[in-house]
Amino acid sequence: MPKSYDETEDDFLVRMKNSKAFRRLITEMLSMRRVSLKVFLSVVITAIAGTLYPLTLGFSINGIIQRNYSSFEFFAGIFLVLFLITFASNRIRTVESTRLAQSEIKSLRERAFGNLQRVPVSFFGKVKTGYLISRITNDAENLSEFLTFLLPAVISGISTVILSISIMFFLDWTLALYALIVIPVLVGFTFILQPRVMRNYLATRKTIAAITGSMSENIGAFRATKAYGVENYTEKRFSSLNTNNYKANMKAAFLSSIYGSAIRMIEAAGIAIVILAGALELSAGLISVGILVAFILYVQNFFEPVTQLSQLYTSYQSAMVGIARIYAIIDSDDEIYNLKTQSPDHFKNSIQFRDVSFKYDTDYALKNINITIAKGEKIGIVGHTGAGKTTFSNLLLGFYEPTEGDIIVDGDNLRELNLVRYRNLIAPVLQDIFIFRGSVYENIQFSKPEISKDETSRLAKEYGLDAIFDSLPEGIDTQVGELGSNLSEGQKQAVSLMRAYVRNPEILLMDEPTSQIDPFSEAVIMKSLRLYVRDKTLVLITHRFSLISLVDRITVIHGGEIVEEGAFEELSASDGIFNSLYRIYSGTGDPEL
Amino acid sequence: MNNCGGPQIKEEVTVLKKISGVFDPLRFSLGYIQKKSKLILVIISFAFVAAVARLLIPIYIGDSVGALESGEIYRIQSFIILILVVSAITAFSQFFINYLSQLVSQSYAFNLRSHLLHKLLLKKVGFMENKTSGDLLSRSTMDIEASRNFILNTTTTLISTMFLIVIGLYLLITLNYIYALFFALSVPFIVYTGMVFQRKQRIHWRNIRSIYGLMNERLQENIVGQRVVRGYQGARSEDKRFNQTTGNYYDEYMEVAHLRGLYNNLMPLSVGVAATAVILYGGFIDIISGASVGSLVAAVNIFIMVSSPISFLGRIIVFSENARASIVRIKEIINDREEESAGNSLSKMKLPGADLIFQGVSFIRGDRRILNRIEVSIKPGEIVSLTGRIGSGKSTLISLIPRLYEPSEGKIEIAGKSIEQYTLSDLRKLVAIVPQSSNLLSGTVFDNIAFGRPFTIDEVRKAAKIAEISEFIEGLAEEYNTAVGERGITLSGGQKQRMLVARAVIGKPGILVLDDATSSVDPQTEMEMLGNIRRELNGTTIIIVSHRPSVARFAERVLLLENGEVVESTLEKAISIDNDKGPKKDGGEDNAEEL
Repeated sequence: MPKSYDETEDDFLVRMKNSKAFRRLITEMLSMRRVSLKVFLSVVITAIAGTLYPLTLGFSINGIIQRNYSSFEFFAGIFLVLFLITFASNRIRTVESTRLAQSEIKSLRERAFGNLQRVPVSFFGKVKTGYLISRITNDAENLSEFLTFLLPAVISGISTVILSISIMFFLDWTLALYALIVIPVLVGFTFILQPRVMRNYLATRKTIAAITGSMSENIGAFRATKAYGVENYTEKRFSSLNTNNYKANMKAAFLSSIYGSAIRMIEAAGIAIVILAGALELSAGLISVGILVAFILYVQNFFEPVTQLSQLYTSYQSAMVGIARIYAIIDSDDEIYNLKTQSPDHFKNSIQFRDVSFKYDTDYALKNINITIAKGEKIGIVGHTGAGKTTFSNLLLGFYEPTEGDIIVDGDNLRELNLVRYRNLIAPVLQDIFIFRGSVYENIQFSKPEISKDETSRLAKEYGLDAIFDSLPEGIDTQVGELGSNLSEGQKQAVSLMRAYVRNPEILLMDEPTSQIDPFSEAVIMKSLRLYVRDKTLVLITHRFSLISLVDRITVIHGGEIVEEGAFEELSASDGIFNSLYRIYSGTGDPEL
Repeated sequence: MNNCGGPQIKEEVTVLKKISGVFDPLRFSLGYIQKKSKLILVIISFAFVAAVARLLIPIYIGDSVGALESGEIYRIQSFIILILVVSAITAFSQFFINYLSQLVSQSYAFNLRSHLLHKLLLKKVGFMENKTSGDLLSRSTMDIEASRNFILNTTTTLISTMFLIVIGLYLLITLNYIYALFFALSVPFIVYTGMVFQRKQRIHWRNIRSIYGLMNERLQENIVGQRVVRGYQGARSEDKRFNQTTGNYYDEYMEVAHLRGLYNNLMPLSVGVAATAVILYGGFIDIISGASVGSLVAAVNIFIMVSSPISFLGRIIVFSENARASIVRIKEIINDREEESAGNSLSKMKLPGADLIFQGVSFIRGDRRILNRIEVSIKPGEIVSLTGRIGSGKSTLISLIPRLYEPSEGKIEIAGKSIEQYTLSDLRKLVAIVPQSSNLLSGTVFDNIAFGRPFTIDEVRKAAKIAEISEFIEGLAEEYNTAVGERGITLSGGQKQRMLVARAVIGKPGILVLDDATSSVDPQTEMEMLGNIRRELNGTTIIIVSHRPSVARFAERVLLLENGEVVESTLEKAISIDNDKGPKKDGGEDNAEEL
């Protein structure tokens, strides 16, 4: 089961193993050598220039005091040059850090997406669509700020602190020690406060996640809310979440505001100490005025990165939660495509299910299924909802592997076949909507990229589906909306069939193909199919009976087991499950009313 | 009066508009923080105090340096105390600025969210049709956050920066008006740079947003259709389609980075140039005049103090751009047309069992006449099956009854009164529509059936029983308190549909409409459920949209919707609309329609 937002995050904090995800992220970024080198160099150069300017300022002031024109001009010149260097290196840093961050984000998204195409299909039964989408788009997005600004800021901050302190020690080590007196106070204070800041911050994250969840629900339930006139109820439910978020944020704001102000005070104390100690040294003739000025600036200088670094911790945490979740998608196990390279090119003989059983968790979805689908045969799999029919199609397509038993394709075990090649033999017409934004033609073309538009139209006509497409404003050139929103079920079904037709498979697998279709479209589709499957192998899985006349033989599954087998006439004459289902369906056997 | 100014005025106006564009988000947001307007004044006052105090620090540092230079070390003590005092004042003010800014920005988000949801719920149902849920969600979450972020940065940083600039300038004047001049010269340059930056990056932010939306969409398409993608080995082409969006996204970000790299860094550079000019000028003067370097040190310190917030201006501009794009999107929701909740509250109608009459009702969308002068009359307590092709307008027809849509022509009467005479809430209590599918709310089974209305657990139990779902629910460990949705149990399509039926029948509506509401329920259960409804909701008019022959047989009357018109139909006719087209086999039953 996918964990909820909170659970993952909580888990994460408990284990605190984010350093592993972090190391991996850094390794990946470092593998883009040129870019990461550029980022590193530009950041360090910026930091060096930044730490040098107080020094040059101090020297030019000494020059002024000593009435030394040349040294004053020289250092004032350096002062300007440092600004120019900062400009240039910062410019490179801005561009290159974005490049580094965005390349990494792009690669994470693409790898995650790519892996979704490879994970076993059962993965999608466990993890919700919304969860996956938000990991790949949203979580990756949240990395952007961290990678673009904060990570370079860490390098910059660390180099600034090290450089400032070294320069201070180089200039005058006693004064440097005085200047650093406040550091332990700063560090201690930060360590005491940070865990609480962190907790508050997490609370804000949780509450905002709840708001997003509720909003999403409200949008989804819009029509129902209106239809029952319960707008007030919806607003009330939302309002309490909204209030929680507000409170959590204000609690977090209080603490972080206190922290910010305290840092300011500590900084001022640092400056005061330097001036006081500096004054004493100055009067003893140990240092010059210029050096003292430089010292004052250095104290201010290293406070900035320290405050930044302390804020960074929270961003680091949340970025790592995101990255760990994306890695979890990237690392999900792949479907095992081809252990052996047996690759069937044609369907020659038969597909046999031999004592096939399948368990989801502990319950059998299918049990001891034995069935042989011979080439050219048309077979129907029938049963109630939940009887195990879709599991059957998942097994047949190799989406799932049988828990027990084997599926034998032309004498070879499916477990040892190259699944890509195997699936080439089968064209599936499934219940799932896979319609993307684009024209109807492009949607059909999906199953066979090289097919031309003319050829598509010709096939549509040949198999009688043109009538369905003709009712669209621009025929097969009509643009399709989000998830096929402007197509009727019949039209979607026709797209699905056309995908199979242009592919021209040896086996046609139809899994509940006409579950929500109107009679007119259904009649057209029926006729078209009858024409098409004449010399194909057909596996029709359904709990409705409209297409049942296409098949020669019917297998009835009930509770995961085969309970009846035979031709339509035999089964409808006997007094079994098939007959009762069929009678209810056709309205001739109403149960008690 | 528009023309007298000619093009110049027009130009000026657009320039003015451009300038004021930066403040657009501010103007919009003020509406949501009105109650906190006093707080904003407080923030501004503290920002002023903080800016003065912060800038006094370099002055005192300069003074101490001057004192040291001239050997008056005894004066140092007082300067140190002054530095500590003004720092304390800064820190104190900064606390209020930060905290109150959060308060303002959070209450902005709070109010805007509530308002947005409120407005959203007032929309007509048609509003949702051309919107995707992902888009609405991102408007109501990400966009609000983006605009809040801008407000936060305005109050914490922008106001302070403004004061820092102005007061810094003033202090420089008091030190030396030439220093001030150098500084003053750099400010317009900085502002101009900022404006150019804003203009240039706007388009890219817009693109980034729309590409992000596209990325979401392609991802969703892919995940929903995963089995088909596998079945056709579409992984490679899908990778290509998705990587196209990530590639474009990357390109747009790089464009922004190039702009940011240049303009954002020009700002501190110009401060640096001005600071160098001050040093050179001041240095020479001091050397010549033999004056103290104290004021020069102070001036350079002021420059440095001002320059770091100025470089932050660039980021504020990014926030502002983001906020602006967001607010446009939020406004689109808020300002869209709303449902008119007219109607007098003459709610004392007889329940249940009311005549339902359509008089010449048409519904026109674009240039398509979906419904054409429908004349239907349904008697109280009647059970009617409505059938017709997909796209024939069945859902539209029934959506007119609770006024989810308004007819283009004609009128609908319930119990002898036009539906417009009822208040919307009464009408919708009277008419319950069960859709084919709808998401359940996260909450318990009880919450989902009672759906915000004051029903007791017994009533919920009974409704569940009618909907043939009680057995399932009562088999759960926590029965009606079981959580459903994201963090609860997962229901199958048929179980969900039965929950929705329970939600509808619990209100004992006068008119119950089942809009293909049992398509995932197996036929046997469906017939049992319909039987329960007929028995328990005695007197309720029932309209069932369905294709199943069994349902048609259950109904007392079959209506067929064809070419925008309703015709009385017989069971046989309804079942065999397409008999002539269908193939014959197995006793001619095979083409009986689905659903």
